[in-house]
Amino acid sequence: MTVRFTMAGLQALAMMGTMAGAAMALPAQAQTGQTSAQGDLSVTIYNDDLALVQDVRQLNISSGVSRIEFPDVSAQIRPETLSFSAPGAAIVEQNFDYDLLSPDTLMEKAVGQVVTIVRTNPGSGAETREQAKVLAVNGGVVLQIGNRIEVLRDDGLPVRVIFDKVPPNLRARPTLSVRVDSDRAGTRPASIRYLTPGLGWSADYVALFDARAGKVDVQGWVTLTNTSGTTYTNANTLLVAGSVNQRQATPYVRRPAPGMAVSPLRNPGTETAGREQLGDFYLYPIANRTTIASNQTKQVSFLDVQGVPASAGYEYVNGWLSTGTEAQSADSVVRFSTSARGGLGDALPAGTVRFYQKDASGAPQFTGENRLGHTPMGSQLALATGKAFDVKVQPVVEQRQKLGDSKWRTTMRYELTNARPDAVTVDLVQQGLDFAWSDTRIASESLKSERRNADAVVWHVPVPANGRASVTATFETRY
Amino acid sequence: MKSRFRHAPLLLALTLLSAAGMARAQLPGAAALPGPVTVVSPAPLSSSVTVYRDMAREEGRFTLRWLRGYALISEKRRVSLPAGDAVVRFEGVADGMIAVSAVVTGLPGAVDEKNRDARLLSPASLLDGSLGNRVHLRRTNPATGAVTETDAIVRSGPDNAVVLETPQGIEALRCSGLPETLVYDSVPEGLSAKPTFSVHTRSERATEAEVTLTYLATGFDWGASYVATIAEDGRTLDLFAWLTVANGNGASFEGAQLLAVAGQPNRSSDFDALVARAPSPQLNLSCWPMDSTGTQPSSADGMPPPPPPPAPMAVMAEIQLTARRSDKAMYAAVATQEDLGDLKLYRVPVPVDVLPDGQKQVAMIQREKVPFTAFYAGTLDPVQDEDGSVPLARMLRMDNRDREGLGLPLPSGSVAVMRRRGDGELLLADSTMKDRAIGEKVEIAAGISGQLRLTRTALALSDKERRFRLVLANATKERAAAEIAIPRLDGFDLKAPAGVKNKDGGKVWLASVPANGTASLDLTYRRQ
Repeated sequence: MTVRFTMAGLQALAMMGTMAGAAMALPAQAQTGQTSAQGDLSVTIYNDDLALVQDVRQLNISSGVSRIEFPDVSAQIRPETLSFSAPGAAIVEQNFDYDLLSPDTLMEKAVGQVVTIVRTNPGSGAETREQAKVLAVNGGVVLQIGNRIEVLRDDGLPVRVIFDKVPPNLRARPTLSVRVDSDRAGTRPASIRYLTPGLGWSADYVALFDARAGKVDVQGWVTLTNTSGTTYTNANTLLVAGSVNQRQATPYVRRPAPGMAVSPLRNPGTETAGREQLGDFYLYPIANRTTIASNQTKQVSFLDVQGVPASAGYEYVNGWLSTGTEAQSADSVVRFSTSARGGLGDALPAGTVRFYQKDASGAPQFTGENRLGHTPMGSQLALATGKAFDVKVQPVVEQRQKLGDSKWRTTMRYELTNARPDAVTVDLVQQGLDFAWSDTRIASESLKSERRNADAVVWHVPVPANGRASVTATFETRY
Repeated sequence: MKSRFRHAPLLLALTLLSAAGMARAQLPGAAALPGPVTVVSPAPLSSSVTVYRDMAREEGRFTLRWLRGYALISEKRRVSLPAGDAVVRFEGVADGMIAVSAVVTGLPGAVDEKNRDARLLSPASLLDGSLGNRVHLRRTNPATGAVTETDAIVRSGPDNAVVLETPQGIEALRCSGLPETLVYDSVPEGLSAKPTFSVHTRSERATEAEVTLTYLATGFDWGASYVATIAEDGRTLDLFAWLTVANGNGASFEGAQLLAVAGQPNRSSDFDALVARAPSPQLNLSCWPMDSTGTQPSSADGMPPPPPPPAPMAVMAEIQLTARRSDKAMYAAVATQEDLGDLKLYRVPVPVDVLPDGQKQVAMIQREKVPFTAFYAGTLDPVQDEDGSVPLARMLRMDNRDREGLGLPLPSGSVAVMRRRGDGELLLADSTMKDRAIGEKVEIAAGISGQLRLTRTALALSDKERRFRLVLANATKERAAAEIAIPRLDGFDLKAPAGVKNKDGGKVWLASVPANGTASLDLTYRRQ
């Protein structure tokens, strides 16, 4: 048996509730779902999980002091960053209320009030109705029914509790509101602006590398992620490359820790890309208005360059004057430029570069990925894609002698092997030379080295096809 | 109905424009259609799966319930595109898809936009999407079984349990102790069963296109599973390897081209974070406090018990691996190897079915009569003051060269060392192999032997010098070769007799210990 109550009575009740000023965040709507209250949206997204949202809504503001609610703002809004402006309206106060409606808060707000309880007899199914006064809600609910005092559902039997209304100030969702003093009544554009986390972007690059031809094709995509819990409908979207300081101490320039791979940026560029700039930031506007749906990852193309000259190389970094127990694979490195001449010809926003190479059947296969920081145009890049299976290096401490209290002599030997059918050149890097900020001298070496910086030297070691090579060097150090 | 009305004057106008423009009459009509057309590609025509191993795990075998490698999946699909803007929706992609890595080629126009939507249909999103809408509250009387259905409006979001407005007043869902539930009329817009991937493209004219969708996906792994069978003479071994691939994804790739990549491609992004399904909001049905007079709060809606721990699954693989008949087995399909940049690519020559939650093995390496040397390895500890005796590790050494019966890239994996014994075989060691290039020596640790021990006796432990006597004791009936590493001690010079040689970048005592006998050596570290 199915009993249906009519909807007419329910709607009348809902309307009464609204008229009584039960401030609901969202009004009851038709069955087909909700339309967004958002207006003309502009979203500016920064790299570090931060976005500036500007929303111009057509609002009917009455004369005098009134309260305006803003539904459909970011669920993660930083309410303190809200700014509101509408012609002829002055702000009295801004509020962000997050006392949310739940059975718990509903019951707590009902203390001292009368509710209806409906008991269902588990044996007969008969219902009995009673009026009860909520005395206290501390751990459990204590009720006064007539002149009896009872604990709600103490016996575990079914009891429905019916409340007359939703108390004011309890909302379904956190609600942003402003109280304004308007000098006139009427509809006008009102703009709100706020910051929100949960929106971010980064770049993803697809690099198809052809080692034989010495070329790389690069596609760049900006990847937008929206975890802010809100959909931004038909928004004018602008991406800002660069980071705004989010409560970080001033970063001081650090040298790479010993043994760490060297930065892929080898020679920062000095060219300016032909893109819009704002201060130090490059701006990447998205051509058309776009809807950034909740929980969506959206990618938009921004770069497509074919046939950029690129070369493959090898690099091995020994972090300290130490012996490797066995030969270690050298890094495979792909080098190319972002210059307008012979390069990608663009400034690259930070992101992940994924390399692909074609296999024997011509299908592209993934060969490794690396992260890229914000890279100015005209830079030289050397991105390590992975470890080479066939090119290995074993560093060996041949001899280590104490010459004085703070004078040591260390003879290093580096054994390089190449199992590939073609000759390769390995950039062999010895790091850790300014250990504890003391000086280091190379007394002798079997191949001319190049001093990269105070901390590292590099040898460009040719290794024949299916062959080996060896480099020896003697260092004089303070330790 | 509405659209016919709107187009009627346009068509009329075009007819009036007479014969000359007749052929083009279709075009403006088509272009006037609002918004992009959605084209669904339900399944791939063919696919190729290239599996990459998990770099973070140790060599050796992987756990089928914890597959942390990944795969590059390349799918050929056919789509019919209309003229103008279109959204192509790809269905049936792997659940571990890393959407940001996806590349679509073969479309006539450029891809402007790629989207992955993860607003999933769940009890919580159903409720969330119905906030402020009319739903039905269905109650069943526990005694009579009578079902009552009441219209209700959802007043609270799913984070704070459910408050409903009914014709009788305000009530909370599932607080009364009566069986009650919500019934919805429809699914809110924009919710889908699975994360979907779509691209936005444009075509000059309606056409059929064969497109390739390439993406990375997590939930795969592979390794080589070696079986080294030592011949009865103890001088050579037969080396066999399976290419063992596992797919922990829900997706199935039938008749797929299967490949595997050996080596160490870099991985810089957090694949898990890129895959992570959007957290579908938890439906949280809590109530007001329900303490009773005598008891502590009873949790009205207890969490379901945690699922039982996964059953060990690796057993299957081992049975398959060790049950192989070692003598002259024939394999119809042996994976071929080619170079891929600085990596090694293995290709299974026949199409195979890569099924969800399945492991597959194909022969990849088969070499016979590979000469090897067996020795025992240990290390001197010159730092500790206390003396001691340690057992030695049994080692097998091969030279990865053509003339030594090998001379091929050996990808990392597990090694089962077997010894022929009459009719059967005996497992000697369960070991691992690292990536070995051609020309490298290959050492396989084959367990610890209690039969050979290294005993260190300190003869002098002063500030100036540390003098030790090393004694190797052999309890076996055969002469044993041993290699004892003598580490460098910073600030000391090593004075050692002729038995200590330079090897692999360090000093090694190369000893030959007679059967049921001992060998000894004295050495001194003297301060510089």
